[in-house]
Amino acid sequence: MLPGIIILIVILVIIALVVIGVGVGYYNSIISIRNRVENAWHQIDVQLRKRYDLIPNLVETVKGYAAHEKETLQKVIEARNTAINAGTVKEQSNAENQITGTLKSLFALSERYPDLKADQHFSRLMEQLNGIESNIAYARQFYNDTVMKFNTRIETFPGNIFARIFNFKNRDYFEIEEESARGPVKVEF
Amino acid sequence: MYEEISKNRVKTYFIIAFFLAFVAAIGYFIGIYIDYRYQVSSTYSVIIMVFALIIAVIISFASYYNSDKIVLGLTRAKPITREENPRVYYIVEGLSIAAGMPRPKIYVIDDSALNAFATGRNPEKSVIVFTRGLIENLDDQELKGVAAHELSHIKNYDILLGTIIVVLVGMITIISNILLRSFFFGGRRRSSRSSGGVLSLVLVAVGVILILLSPLIATIIRLAVSRNREYLADSSGAMLTRYPAGLASALRKISVQSKVKTANNATAHLFISNPVGKKTAGFFKNLFNTHPPVEERIKRLEQMSLGVGV
Repeated sequence: MLPGIIILIVILVIIALVVIGVGVGYYNSIISIRNRVENAWHQIDVQLRKRYDLIPNLVETVKGYAAHEKETLQKVIEARNTAINAGTVKEQSNAENQITGTLKSLFALSERYPDLKADQHFSRLMEQLNGIESNIAYARQFYNDTVMKFNTRIETFPGNIFARIFNFKNRDYFEIEEESARGPVKVEF
Repeated sequence: MYEEISKNRVKTYFIIAFFLAFVAAIGYFIGIYIDYRYQVSSTYSVIIMVFALIIAVIISFASYYNSDKIVLGLTRAKPITREENPRVYYIVEGLSIAAGMPRPKIYVIDDSALNAFATGRNPEKSVIVFTRGLIENLDDQELKGVAAHELSHIKNYDILLGTIIVVLVGMITIISNILLRSFFFGGRRRSSRSSGGVLSLVLVAVGVILILLSPLIATIIRLAVSRNREYLADSSGAMLTRYPAGLASALRKISVQSKVKTANNATAHLFISNPVGKKTAGFFKNLFNTHPPVEERIKRLEQMSLGVGV
């Protein structure tokens, strides 16, 4: 009688330990993916800062050649300031889309001013800006990939149980507006 | 992905252990051979074995920490700066961000052939090497495909394994070459003397066979680790660029002109496409090739792309 109970207790304790062990491992894996999401967001942030730093330079250079295009220049600066102050992922992605839009009109402007287009400083800024733009796209790709992993992890079993207990929330994707920006589109005639 | 990394770590340790055992065995057999040849009963075999083992450990450590430098030196690759080539820099930097890893250093081999490889001990210390011909002849999408392929090698820790193999296999080949020569030239003179026991004769024979086989063993190690990795790096690279057709079209261009002057048999398996001219044909071509056939790689990439842009 007594040995039977002891064996039963030992088995139950072992099962409990295994369950706890697996649970802790799973919980830790969720946390590490969540940290990777934070890190990925930080990567976007680094690239965005680079762009914010570049924009005033760009505007100054354009001003030197096309001072009376005030409206366009003003819009670029405004979009930049909104973006800097953006808080949530949603606000930030909206603000970034705004910047990308206004920068496009700025580039369109340069087409009308041959002197500006020929300016060494301007072309170097353009080159840097293009590089940063593509880096932002890649950082966004990495962020969205990581968010997808995190969301999948906390929506599927047994992650969903942990999500309920510890209040893990789905993360937002960093959205882009235009279809053309969603990836390289090759058009053949 | 993480499974691949630990698998590669295990393989690396296994290969280093194998190398140590091989060198120790060779040292041991040399000792026995000396005893046999000079008809003495010394402890040379043990002394030489220990000595060989110490040297092998030093070489292993040196190759673990310096293999990338050795390979860069062997292929005569030179670093380039961001100012010299912003296009390449932004492409590599962007893809590193997409892969969530630090940007590797960028080196160039001054060769008109089209090829590339990655080396280094870990992602923090990694290097991507392009040939000048590759940078000049590929468009952005194609170059992105190649860079993403190499970044995948880095992320999977293929580079540590591949680079250490260059050094260790090179050492095995050199040792066995030296020994073979000394056996063939020094061995005959002793034949008139009486033998020093059947056991040592057998051991000497085993030693000779081991040394004779060593180039083959080295080749098999090299091959065992390289072919499947190429498919894996192709597909994870394509995931990174989201555009398999870029790498497919790069491979098509590369396959026409991939022969790099500074590459040799020891470094061949590092490259994205075989940098050494094909010498074998038919059955042996498949058996001893360091790379899977380009047509097969392109076919797999095209299947991935589901018709987009191909």
